[in-house]
Amino acid sequence: MMNPGQDHLKELLRQFLEAPAAEAAYRDIQAGERLLEAHPAPAPESRVILAIKAQMAGAARRQQRIVRLVRGALATAAAVIVLALIGLPDPGARNSSALSYASLIPTAIWESDDIAADDLDIVYFSAEIRHLEAQMRALDAGEEQVGGAVPDEFENELMAIEIEFWKG
Amino acid sequence: MGRSVELARIIDGCKSGDADSFAQVVDMYSGRCYGYFYRLTGDRDLSDELLSELFIRLVEKIGSYKGGAFESWLFKIASNIFHDHLRGKQRRKKLLETRRGQLELEPDLNEQRVSDEAGDRLDRLQAQLSRLDDDTRDLILLRFYSELSFKEIAELRSEPIGTALSKLHRGLKKLRELMEG
Repeated sequence: MMNPGQDHLKELLRQFLEAPAAEAAYRDIQAGERLLEAHPAPAPESRVILAIKAQMAGAARRQQRIVRLVRGALATAAAVIVLALIGLPDPGARNSSALSYASLIPTAIWESDDIAADDLDIVYFSAEIRHLEAQMRALDAGEEQVGGAVPDEFENELMAIEIEFWKG
Repeated sequence: MGRSVELARIIDGCKSGDADSFAQVVDMYSGRCYGYFYRLTGDRDLSDELLSELFIRLVEKIGSYKGGAFESWLFKIASNIFHDHLRGKQRRKKLLETRRGQLELEPDLNEQRVSDEAGDRLDRLQAQLSRLDDDTRDLILLRFYSELSFKEIAELRSEPIGTALSKLHRGLKKLRELMEG
């Protein structure tokens, strides 16, 4: 197995050494490589080669599977991104959808300019409902007095609120 | 030229995951790579393992091969595998030293046993090669089995060509003296 680049070795050695030293070095190298040639290493056993080929085929299949999976995942991700981009409303579309939601709100409230008063009403009713819920729970639990009022008074209060509510 | 075209075709096949192309690469290079590992380690079982690791890494890394001398690329991986093995061996050795105080046997004699059809016997060349330092032995065997030019070997080892040339000359001269002595 003499190196095919051997012919250039002499010239290469001459770049670093004087001519006689280069010649001697060349002979030493050749003699050393002849020694290696004279003592060939054993060849790998055929069962080892067969096993390696089988392992490589398995590894190649696994790698192909991984590549396919990654490609599939990338394609899915790309599709999701495209769909998300398509589904994202643009500013113009947002205005039209806001109008359609607005139509669900009673016109009286929608057209009211007194936001502070509207909000105050909501706070008032919310607090009252919470108060009533607490009293109902207390009644269910069998307590006699709820928030300092007897049950009859409570019912009256509830009715009054309901009437007030339906009046608008 | 025909050989390089054929090799390029085989490598393309490997890149597309073709098992037959991988098998062809094994047929083409297993002898030389095995010789390289065997002469470095003197151990057939270990050489089998290193050879197997080399070709599995080839499957994993073939996508990163961007042309140039394929032998250079392949033997660079082979050399890295051997040096990884050496580092692992050093770690194991240190571990043994700290736990036992000393190694049980002279490692060289233990590792240079050759198993062939005729039974276990000591390979004379192997024994003398083991007396060279790891780096010189690697350089000599890399040059012999890879059949790469000196320029390629120097590049592969990341050292100046003059340094590689000088190490090879001294190493082969010493090997010859050891064999004759």
